[in-house]
Amino acid sequence: MPGEEIFYLSVSELAKRIESKKLSPVNLTQAYLDRSQKLGRRFNAYARLTPESALEQAKAAEKEIQRGHYRGPLHGIPYAAKDLLAVKGVPTTWGAKPFADQVFDYNATVIDHLNRVGAVMLGKASMIELAGGMGYRFASASLQGEAKNPWDTTCWTCGSSSGSGAIVAAGLAAFAIGTETWGSIICPSAYCGVSGLRPTYGRVSRYGAMALAPSMDKIGPMARSAEDCARIFAAIAGHDPKDRGTVPIDKGAFTYSPSMELHPRPLKIGWLTNAWKSLEPSVAKPIEAATRILKKYFSSVQDVALPVGPWEDAGGIIVAVECAASFRSLIRSGRVSELTDPLGQIAGYVNEQYSATDYLQALKVREIAQKKMDALFETFDVIATAAQPVPATPLSLNLETGLVFPDPLGGIGNICGLPAMSVPCGFTDKNLPVGLQFVGRAGDDFAVIQAGRTFQSHTDWHKRHPKIH
Amino acid sequence: MDNKSDSAISRREFARCAAFVSAAASLTPSNLLNAESLAAPPPAQQPANAPKLSPEGQAEVEARVQSIFAQYGNRFSEAQKSDIRRLATEAQRALERLRAFPMDNGAGPGLYLKPLMEREKKPLPTPATPKPASAPKNS
Repeated sequence: MPGEEIFYLSVSELAKRIESKKLSPVNLTQAYLDRSQKLGRRFNAYARLTPESALEQAKAAEKEIQRGHYRGPLHGIPYAAKDLLAVKGVPTTWGAKPFADQVFDYNATVIDHLNRVGAVMLGKASMIELAGGMGYRFASASLQGEAKNPWDTTCWTCGSSSGSGAIVAAGLAAFAIGTETWGSIICPSAYCGVSGLRPTYGRVSRYGAMALAPSMDKIGPMARSAEDCARIFAAIAGHDPKDRGTVPIDKGAFTYSPSMELHPRPLKIGWLTNAWKSLEPSVAKPIEAATRILKKYFSSVQDVALPVGPWEDAGGIIVAVECAASFRSLIRSGRVSELTDPLGQIAGYVNEQYSATDYLQALKVREIAQKKMDALFETFDVIATAAQPVPATPLSLNLETGLVFPDPLGGIGNICGLPAMSVPCGFTDKNLPVGLQFVGRAGDDFAVIQAGRTFQSHTDWHKRHPKIH
Repeated sequence: MDNKSDSAISRREFARCAAFVSAAASLTPSNLLNAESLAAPPPAQQPANAPKLSPEGQAEVEARVQSIFAQYGNRFSEAQKSDIRRLATEAQRALERLRAFPMDNGAGPGLYLKPLMEREKKPLPTPATPKPASAPKNS
């Protein structure tokens, strides 16, 4: 049985040991499975473990590696997939009771990509029901119950990739796949103290993933470091003819090599002055310290303001309308009442009522926002701010009334499909993680990864992990 | 950290802020006549600190609420009906901000999101490192 620390090794570290045959993928998988079986329920982290297929994959990986056929840095690495990604023959519940028995007979493209590089799927990560598309008032809005934060189990992990955040933070898998329509990778990454990448819209195929708002849905990795995110992103990115939303072949693929770090391009950082109305004092302190790191190690750091406009309103309407269309039969049949959350049971009816005129107005606003953000990225390579203005919130909090703040960066970043990354940058006085967020120009995912990587090469916050007994 | 945005929407509000539109068009008189809730509806609830909706905005909210109740009314408890009215009222504010945003007649809607990454005028800089076979295509 490997020691505790192995569960918190980065993909890069694990890969070195696996490639050199010092670590057996079968032993590693079994160790993660044992730990997940023991601790998964404590955090409501998994929707389901798939030990048999995991061990099969691990044995196949081990056999190949023994034969000298090493596929690359994810070969033999155990991970968890958010339970909205189709995996052939395995229930895919979308975190929601009406879909509790749903089984697909095909894999999501992301799962196929990860199979191809030899990664080992340990199971499906729990999530907020329907990825929060119908709205939710409480952390308990999930078929699996409230996801508990490994740093403090009285606190939430944030959603909707709630299980993915808990799994990575608790060392239950080496990485997890999350999705974001608006905030669902960045927020859980910040709350759970892990590194999360929200790729440019269209960079990762959504084929086989639950559709919430098809013009905003994105899939990305949550892991122990920016470098790990880059390696995972390299495995899952690329054009897919099965997803019309993916970018063309020549702009879809992403390749990562540590040698790219030797001569990094100097990054100009724009520090956002109006991303949050205010930061909670316990968050402000580590964020201030993080800005000092940025000023010391980045090419330049200058204050900049986001353009002002109804970006959040436009994003809210786009999500609401597209979600109502995605789940029309659920709403019309009345089965939406089977959702756990009281808000989720009714918001779909309201979403159905938007007019085409207002939806189109929102889409026009999106075009304007894209142009404004493109202009901003003429001056800066990356813009940065706190990932969230508050640390992880109590499990019992009413999110409708207790967690309401403007989020113009989340709005504009998601309606424009911009890449973003959250990396840990410190802790509050109650030992809750704080995240620093980088956002880049569409297509320049490398810049946000490089920003995260540079920050992490001068800090060790991403190496901290909660004490779990 | 001043925030110049006066939007009251939060990230978590996005999905609930199911707003309503000029839905009056879909609410025909026959719909209304068949509706269970033809009785004078209670006024739209407005939080004490929120700016008041205009009479037109209030009417729009009410039209949408009645549309929902006409179609699905028997599914809801009184508490849910009250919640739906509240959500509709909050959504109206977002709609009004959106509608107030100045827009040229020729402004095009992004019918399907296409990130502005095909730009040719300034290709993204590449890393200074010599390019091995594994050099990134996008950097």
